[in-house]
Amino acid sequence: MAEISEAPEASKDEHGSPVKNISDNFDPNTMRKSKPGLKRLILSLSVLFSFLLGLPLLLKSIEIYRAPLPFREINALSNAIESSPLVFPCHFRAVFVGFDQNEWNADKLRVSILGQMKKFMGDDLVCGTCGNNYTVSVAYFGNGLNLDDKLKDYDVDEHLESVLGSGEINGGKVYTVVVVKRDQEVKAVVGKRRHGWIVGRVSELDAVEKIAEIFVKVFMNGGKEEGLIPGEFMPVGADGKVVLSFNLLNADPNDWIYDWDFQKIDEILLAPIIKALEPVANISVESQVLYHTPKSSFSYWDDELKSYILSTKDLPFFVNSNEWHLDTSIAAGGRSKVLQVVVYLPSAKECPLLLQLPNGEISMTNGFISPMWGGVIVWNPPGCSRDTENIHPLGHKISHQDLEKIFEVFMGQLRQLFGLKSNNLYVGTSGTFVLLASERGFTEWELDVLSRQHTCFNLRSCTTTLGSLSRLVQSLPRMIIMDEIGKQVKFSLEAANLAQSNASLGIYDASAVSSRLARSLAEDAFFHPSILSVSYYSFEHCFAVYSPFFLPVSLHVILAAVREWRRFKQERKKYVAWQTKSGR
Amino acid sequence: MIRLQMERFFKSTVILSLLLCSICLCSAIASSYSSSASSSSITMHTNNWAVLVCTSRFWFNYRHMANTLSLYRTVKRLGIPDERIILMLADDMACNARNKYPAQVFNNENHRLNLYGDNVEVDYRGYEVTVENFLRVLTGRHETAVPRSKRLLSDEGSHILLYMTGHGGDEFLKFQDSEELQSHDLADAVKQMKEKRRFKELLIMVDTCQAATLFSQLHSPGVLAIGSSMKGENSYSHHLDSDVGVSVVDRFTFYTLAFFERLNIYDNASLSSLFSSYNPSTLMSTAYYRTDLYQRQLREVPVTNFFGSVMETIHTDSAYGALSGKEFTRYKIKMSSDQSTSLQEQGTFVSSNVQQQMNDSDTKGACPFTRMMARLHDKMEKIEDVDTLVNYGLVIMLPLVAVSTWLSQ
Repeated sequence: MAEISEAPEASKDEHGSPVKNISDNFDPNTMRKSKPGLKRLILSLSVLFSFLLGLPLLLKSIEIYRAPLPFREINALSNAIESSPLVFPCHFRAVFVGFDQNEWNADKLRVSILGQMKKFMGDDLVCGTCGNNYTVSVAYFGNGLNLDDKLKDYDVDEHLESVLGSGEINGGKVYTVVVVKRDQEVKAVVGKRRHGWIVGRVSELDAVEKIAEIFVKVFMNGGKEEGLIPGEFMPVGADGKVVLSFNLLNADPNDWIYDWDFQKIDEILLAPIIKALEPVANISVESQVLYHTPKSSFSYWDDELKSYILSTKDLPFFVNSNEWHLDTSIAAGGRSKVLQVVVYLPSAKECPLLLQLPNGEISMTNGFISPMWGGVIVWNPPGCSRDTENIHPLGHKISHQDLEKIFEVFMGQLRQLFGLKSNNLYVGTSGTFVLLASERGFTEWELDVLSRQHTCFNLRSCTTTLGSLSRLVQSLPRMIIMDEIGKQVKFSLEAANLAQSNASLGIYDASAVSSRLARSLAEDAFFHPSILSVSYYSFEHCFAVYSPFFLPVSLHVILAAVREWRRFKQERKKYVAWQTKSGR
Repeated sequence: MIRLQMERFFKSTVILSLLLCSICLCSAIASSYSSSASSSSITMHTNNWAVLVCTSRFWFNYRHMANTLSLYRTVKRLGIPDERIILMLADDMACNARNKYPAQVFNNENHRLNLYGDNVEVDYRGYEVTVENFLRVLTGRHETAVPRSKRLLSDEGSHILLYMTGHGGDEFLKFQDSEELQSHDLADAVKQMKEKRRFKELLIMVDTCQAATLFSQLHSPGVLAIGSSMKGENSYSHHLDSDVGVSVVDRFTFYTLAFFERLNIYDNASLSSLFSSYNPSTLMSTAYYRTDLYQRQLREVPVTNFFGSVMETIHTDSAYGALSGKEFTRYKIKMSSDQSTSLQEQGTFVSSNVQQQMNDSDTKGACPFTRMMARLHDKMEKIEDVDTLVNYGLVIMLPLVAVSTWLSQ
């Protein structure tokens, strides 16, 4: 179109000039006598200019609101976490009672304990342990610490607690091992608080080794074996919540129907455990009784044992997911973890049902766990083996004694899910240690270990989540980021920093609480529903949206400006050529 | 002639520069994220999930729903529980008025097996099956009110089976006859899932025309993909049921089901045996599988790793004996109170602090433009003599007009 409108004008220009000027050396094709006009050029340029002026306005109007995210802080945090694993300060104390101070002085003992601990620890720094950030102090005690050999272990524990107290150094907890020299068999016990004691005929050298092992393997690492459950599997939901869902399954209600007094279990047995685990997870409890829930694996009758046998290799098929409607929780939020606890009552034609281990033994607990899922306990109703006809199908209740037994197995399973052992014995290289059990389900030093581990895991997960979020946000410049996300990220970072500072002070439980908060806020930000709006937004799409508005007009404006500029230059050249010629 | 060429050249440069401008405008929208530096630690396979999607509406697409329901039945039979299956059906054929067998769906003309029997739990139904909801399921970005049963709550130990069927084309899959899922969208969602460790391994199985093109953008490790047809090929239905009046199953799915009918939960047939069971002449298309992102050897991977669920179990060695010997009913808990209460205080302190900060919703973060406007507005307010200002403005305009007229002479 531009060409058409241009054409007559150009020809007029060319035709016009020879008429006016009749001169010998005037070539109308290459020269002109008048100055070329600026009007057209300025007009077209001003239109273009006004278009350019409008461009920032356009960019502003199509700008997308993005809440500012603290990318630098996120990077700093993830660098800090990745470069040096979170190491908690730990304070250890060894108390020697009834020892001769002449041969070994306190400092010498301290050094040798430190040396032994190094040996037990190995080289790799595991996140959530004390790393190299620990102190050891050694004290000699006269005879003030009167550990009577008639006292039971639990009473010794209480006694030690009253004498030593839960001493604190700079807010950090102190773990103590008391060594008492006495004429009896050597016995090493770890209490349910933060004490251990070794009583018997021990030399300093033996004691040092035992002390170091208790410090490192028990107090620091929680007395667990490597590779029981990989550390990644933390049975805590992303929002820091766990729902314990207790299910009583009556496989065949035609044979018998059992009920339980769950209210009592909840109030008396569960409440202290939930309270104890508070720093690690926010636990809620629900329960249900289900009927018609046969298992889906096979069992066979064993004449010797007079019972039905289930072998461990069939366990993966035990849970009958089609008939067991376990996940009926309404309390559990979207990202919280539901741990199933199943108490399975076999039907009459498979009772009693026993679990056989690969080595041919019968399981003591009759239960198993599945990591991240929960646990199953098979409970055989009393008297089911004798004659099943005599059992009245209705109105049974699991007795309190049985409930207690079931609950103990459950505690074992819960501890297993959290990665702790329950056999109350730790077999180390320097001997066997008795671990006292706590009525709260977890001893204090175990809770410390859990807090440390979960802090570490939570912080790591928080930083990776925030890192993923920042990568996602930076790679999608057209994505709206709501203020809420920015706020969540900010508070998550704050909580993470708080957790770190608490950790460095040795306040384990508080750091676990704030790390949990940091993780859940980070998850909330990452999984914010508004992020989905533009995930993939193709260039073609963008071009198709904006080009109809601007392409038709802007093309012409730019073309016109360019053409006018060229025309002006050409005409000026002509004028200059004529001037030089006539001037000559 | 030269001038014409010049003109053409100019035009092309202008268009090019415009294109460049628009590229800047939408800069890096199409760009992908920087690859995540995820540690490749070996995690255990703990659970199985299945996302089964039928994307087509309308009665004549009966076979797509039958495909999906057959797969649903198969994975359920092989042990994936209902709460770990997300079933998306874009239409309700069982209750369609044209269905001669109300509340029943068949995938074979012998009508031996009613797929719509008991215990079919459809999570997304009808118009809920959209690209958005599908991507939300994969990425896990739901509104808070969405119940657990509609979420894919997988973790870093999960194997996920993603089965999709419907009408597709080159790099897209049609949803509901109105939307499209592009291969980019799928790759993007998978990438985000990987980034958040929502799966350990993912098997994508697609039964559409040109299914292989849907995988072209995938590049997240741990993903195995199989499609019913190559680019430029169609996927055909297997047979027509003259009673129902429409085709009831697609060829690819039919032969997949035929493979699984022989299996039970204890079997350990490998994935490679499944993949090699597809015969191009019976399928009338070439089944394509993409393994370059998958680390394990297909020969060593049992199909139950994806199509079934085998629970990882650990025997409980011992009970925790602290509670024995205590009297049940009169049992009183002696908490070591000081420690726990102080902890609680700390906890509440932290949370209340954050709560408070969350609540005071400050709107400080306004954009610079509005801030500038506000400042201008403030300045304007301060100027008392507005009339003189306007006059000054008019006076300034005069020379501008004068200059422009002088230039145009």
